[in-house]
Formats: sequence, structure tokens, C-alpha cells
Amino acid sequence: MEAKAAASSRGDGFWRAWAVLPVLLLAIVVGLFFTSGDSIVDLVGRNPPPADEFDVRRVEFKPGEIRVRVTNPQRDDLTIASVTVDDAIVPFSVDGNRKLGRLRSATIVVPYDWVEDDPISVGVTSSTGIETVEEIAAALETPQPSAKGVLGYGLIGFFVGIVPIALGLLWLPSLRRANPRWLAAFMALTAGLLTFLGVEALGEAFDRQATLPGPLAGPGLVLLGVAGSYLTILLLGTRLGRGGDGAGVSAAALALLVAVGIGVHNFGEGLAIGTSFAFGELTLGTFLIVGFMIHNVTEGLGIAAPAAGSGTRFSLGRLVALTLIAGGPAILGAWLGGFATSDLLAVVFFAAAAGAAFEVVVEVGRYVARRVSGGLRSGWVLGGFLAGIAAMYVTGLLAA
Amino acid sequence: MPNSRLSRRKLLIGAAPLVAAPALGKLALGGDAKAAEHTGHMGPGLSHAAMIGDAAPAVGGPHDLDALLYPPPALPHQPGRVREYTLVAADHDVEIAPGIHFPAWTYNGTVPGPVIRATEGDRLRVHLVNAGSHPHTIHFHGIHPADMDGVFEIVAPGKSFTYDFPARPYGMHLYHCHSTPLKKHIHKGLYGAFIIDPPKPRKPAQELVMVMNGYDTDADGGNNFYTVNGRSFYYSRYPIRVHRSQTVRIYIANLTEFDLINSFHLHGDFFRYYPTGSSDAFEYTDTVMLCQGQRGIIEIDFANTGHFMFHAHQSEFTELGWMGFFEVVD
Repeated sequence: MEAKAAASSRGDGFWRAWAVLPVLLLAIVVGLFFTSGDSIVDLVGRNPPPADEFDVRRVEFKPGEIRVRVTNPQRDDLTIASVTVDDAIVPFSVDGNRKLGRLRSATIVVPYDWVEDDPISVGVTSSTGIETVEEIAAALETPQPSAKGVLGYGLIGFFVGIVPIALGLLWLPSLRRANPRWLAAFMALTAGLLTFLGVEALGEAFDRQATLPGPLAGPGLVLLGVAGSYLTILLLGTRLGRGGDGAGVSAAALALLVAVGIGVHNFGEGLAIGTSFAFGELTLGTFLIVGFMIHNVTEGLGIAAPAAGSGTRFSLGRLVALTLIAGGPAILGAWLGGFATSDLLAVVFFAAAAGAAFEVVVEVGRYVARRVSGGLRSGWVLGGFLAGIAAMYVTGLLAA
Repeated sequence: MPNSRLSRRKLLIGAAPLVAAPALGKLALGGDAKAAEHTGHMGPGLSHAAMIGDAAPAVGGPHDLDALLYPPPALPHQPGRVREYTLVAADHDVEIAPGIHFPAWTYNGTVPGPVIRATEGDRLRVHLVNAGSHPHTIHFHGIHPADMDGVFEIVAPGKSFTYDFPARPYGMHLYHCHSTPLKKHIHKGLYGAFIIDPPKPRKPAQELVMVMNGYDTDADGGNNFYTVNGRSFYYSRYPIRVHRSQTVRIYIANLTEFDLINSFHLHGDFFRYYPTGSSDAFEYTDTVMLCQGQRGIIEIDFANTGHFMFHAHQSEFTELGWMGFFEVVD
């Protein structure tokens, strides 16, 4: 009774301040733990020595010069002591401090007469003698931002992003006149291909997070990207206006959501193409670009299907806007990937692409369930969904 | 520093023809000022093959390795004379390249260990004190009783043992730890040169000792650095000054672990090579190949003055530290 009385007498302000107490106590305990050194660890054994391996983030080739970006992925300091190229010690300089604290980076500059197209390896040895070797499949001059390069990557993004979406949207008039069951099938096909894209992006995000330096990596990072974009698209859908019945967005809004989902995906795709090409890991042949174009035509179809279901006429300007939203990010991604890659950014964008795709699949599912006779269990819907996945897989083979 | 009077530019020009690579020469002489600026303390912006003087990434000062390079003088033949040496085996971090510390096991704190020298007929008493953390021995090459062979009498940490045997036969020999695991005990640095002089003294010469070795700093079973006398690129940074008027005699041994062979190649001249230094038979050549434990004596009568490179003729070893220069003066 007394305590209760005291509690109420103290008022809300006191209890809000009370919330700070655990934080203060935590700070004190952490402080004590640090000052005690390793005495607690010593009770149970000894820590193994640090791995002392660098994380080689990027190797760039310029005429007569190799630049190596390294990060210290471990808790203990790491010092750049020696550098080898193809197993030979070479003179080098470090742009920044040789001694790297946790997650600190530096760029090593090696004057070197490298041989074009030859495989090459770069080794960075720490002061404890541990050598981290990075193998490069082929030494190629790293493209620097230039008008020509910007145009080139822009055109690649245009052909793999915008052109196929625009072509896919040309199906709109035909779809509008199609039998409602067929339209339902095509809507389901949209969901199928978005599911495919989502799963692919998710896989890519998990693969790439594993290559990040230890402390930055983790499946949680992927979850952060997926949840962030899923919830963003959800919010966007709500803003665009749910139907008055509160059961989902309108067909027109759905077309826009699909375009946004595909746009996020195409940004990741552009990023991957730009990065892989810049690092000599990808041959950007005609066949590959044609493959991506055919693959992405299905994405245009995915936007056209809900647009056809809306019954409203889409102006040319609106169609162009949808095309740019869905396809334009491929250009931005290609620029970013080609000139300034960040692995962390790539993970986040692939995860975001997955989240966006999954959210849009849910929206499409709700729409189909509501508007199509037989709902989600109709054979047209199931067949369309599977056909969407199959179409993505088969056309994906062309881009492999 | 022997080469302090030479400007860096002059050194480059001098070294370029030696490395005999036109492309490198072009790079060196082309002198991209920006690239040169860029390289900081590591020296000019050209390939390592022409690294000499300040450009060579070697650790330490100009006379750090004198005790290993210049052997104690030969003593006249005097049968029965006792020669005593004390070797303390201890764990010791050695800096083998700038900023790179190798957790070595050493005799008397250096890798390789000290040069042991006797004249044939001397009685050798070598005291081994094990101040290290593992059992060690000293196994001498030569002719001696089985219980003085460094195989059976394992010396535990904190213990000591005295090897007592007559020095024979004359020649260039070596010693190393023979505890198991053998590979580990050798590669960690427990070895050195062991010279036995013939009863009839060799003719006077400028005498040098070179022990070839390697360091596997990341324990992957392959060497990351190669050296003579323990520090990579040391004699590129501090060329060995010799006089043309007098024979140069090198006592050379190969103690490289992991690799099957090592070699010695001299630029710009030929030499007489006496395998094991145990007879008068020699080969006249500019390149010799030695497996681990093989050794011999090289005698050079330089025909010219200037900087002459020497290195392993395994290019990989050369570029990982096993190269140096003679500065031949009148």
C-alpha cells in the first residue's frame, strides 16, 4: 500500500527518469568489465591469436599502377607491412595509415607494370607475417567515370531495363480485351514472376552478405533490407489509397506498386551488371544483353496485367512514367555498380528488391482473390502463377 | 652506409642494365615523377628487380649482420687445441623484413645462429643451453661419435649439454637442431654455418658467410620470404663492399625449409665452386644449385668494379628477398 502511494506521489516524471537507470548501470558494469582486462577470460582459458587477415575490398588497375583497398575486419589492430604481386615483394605506399583499427580501411598504391588480360594475384602481409592473397581472374584497366563510360552504362541500363518494360507494356491493349479468366491468369503470372525475382534477389543478398567483413555481415542485414522495403511499399500502397472497402489497392495503384517493386529489382540487377563488368568477372556480350532483354519483357507484362484490370485508360504519359519507374533504376544501378561499388549497398539493395517483390506479390494476391471468380484457387490463377515462375526461369537461362 | 655517396638516380641507372629487362629500364629511366613521389619511403616507382640502396625494403642498419657475414679468422693448424662455443637456444622474435616479426627459435638470438669455426684437429666443445620453450639439440655435420650427433641427447628446456668432438673433416659444414618435429625446428631458425679449416691454410681472401633460408610467416607450408643471413633484401639495401684486387671467398650453405632447392647466381663474373669445400676440385661457373643441407665454397676474382647483383636463380626467391649486390672497388 505504502509503495503504491509512494509511486503515485512521485509522479510520471520520476518514472520516466527511472528508465535511464538501467542504461547507467549497464555503463558502469561495462566500465568495470573493461578495467578488469582479461581476468574473467583467464579463468576459462586463453583467447586464440587474431587471424590477422585483411579484407581486400577492391583491386583497381591503372596504367602502371595497382590500387588495393583493404579493410581490417577484426577487433585487434592490423598493420600493412609488406605487399606482393604474383608472389614478388613490391614497393608500395599507403594512402592513409598503415596501422588499421577495427573496420578501418586504407588504399595501397603499387607502381606495377601489369600484363593486360593475365591472371594476377595481390598479397597483403600483416606485421605478424600473415598474408592475405586476392586472386584476380584477369588484369584489366578499371574504368574511371568518363562521359563515354556514363553513356555506355546508361545504354546498357536502357536496353536491359527500359526497352523490355516498354515492349511488355505494349501488351496492354490486348490484355484489356482479354477474357477475365485470362486476365486473372496474367495477374497470377505477374505474382509468379515477382516471386521468382524476390527469391533470386534474396539468394543474391544472402550470398553477398557472406562476403562482407565479419562484423558487417550477417543474415540480419538481409532481414533489415527485406523488412525495410516491404514495409515501405506497404506504406506506399496505403497512401495510394486502398479501395473504399478496405480490401486492397485499386488496379491502377497496383500497377504502380508492381512497377516500383520491379524498379527496385532492376536497380539491383543494374548494380550487379555494372560491378561484375567493372571487375572483369562478366563478359558483357551481345548474347547476355539480349538475354536480359527477353527476361525483362516479362516484367513489362507484369505491369500491364493489373493496368488492364483497372478498366481506366492509361495515358501515354502515365505509361512512360511506369516504364521509367520500373526500368530506369537499371541505369542508375549500372552507373553506381560500374564506378563506385559498395558490397554493403549491394546486399541492402538485393534485400530491398526481395522485400519489395514479396509485398507486391501480397497485393496482387489480395487483388486477385477479391476480383476473380474462384479466387486464388482457380485453375487459371494457379496455372498463371506457375507459368510466371517457369517463364522467368526459362528466359533467365538466356541471361546465364 | 657503403653507397651513401651515390645518388638515387645514379643507382637506378647503374641497376637498370643489371636487371637486363628493357621494360624495367624504360620505367626506371623514364622517371615518371609522379609515380616516384608516390612511393614514399619504399623508394622509386620501379620494379623490385632494381631495388638497391634505400629503395630496397630491408630492415636494420648497415652493420647489423656483420657478425654473421664475416666469419671469425681461421687459426693455424694446432692438433688438440680446444675451441669452445656456447649456444643458447631461446624463443626470440626477429624482424625479417620492415615491420614483419617472425616468432623464431634461435641460437644466440639470431637466425641463422653464430658462425662456428675450427681448424681440422681442434677439439670442439660446444655448450648448448636450452633457454627456449621446447626441447632442442645441435646436430653437427661432420665426423663424430654417435652420442655427439644431436639426435639421441635431447636437451629439455632449462637443461644444457656439451658436445665434445674432434673437428673433421675440413670443409664448409653446418649445424642445426634435430628435435622433432624436425621441419618445425629447422624452419623456426635453429641452424648456422660450421667452418672447419684445412691443416694447410687456404690462401688469404676476403671471407664471407652466406646462409640461405626462408620464412613461412603464415604457417601454410610455403615460404613468404627468402634471405641470406636472415633478412630479406638486406644486401640490396647494404651492398657488400669487396676489393677487386683480392679473392672473395664465400662459405655458402642452404638451410631453406619447404623448398626442394635453393641456388646462388652471380652477375657479371664467374667463380670457382668447391662442393662442401672438402677437396681442391672445383667447377668454374656462375650458378650453383644446393638442396637443403648442401653447402660449399665460392671463390670470386672480380674482373670489374661496380655493382654486381647476386641472387637465387629461382626468380620467385629473388623477388621475395633473396638478392643482394657486391660493390666491387679497386
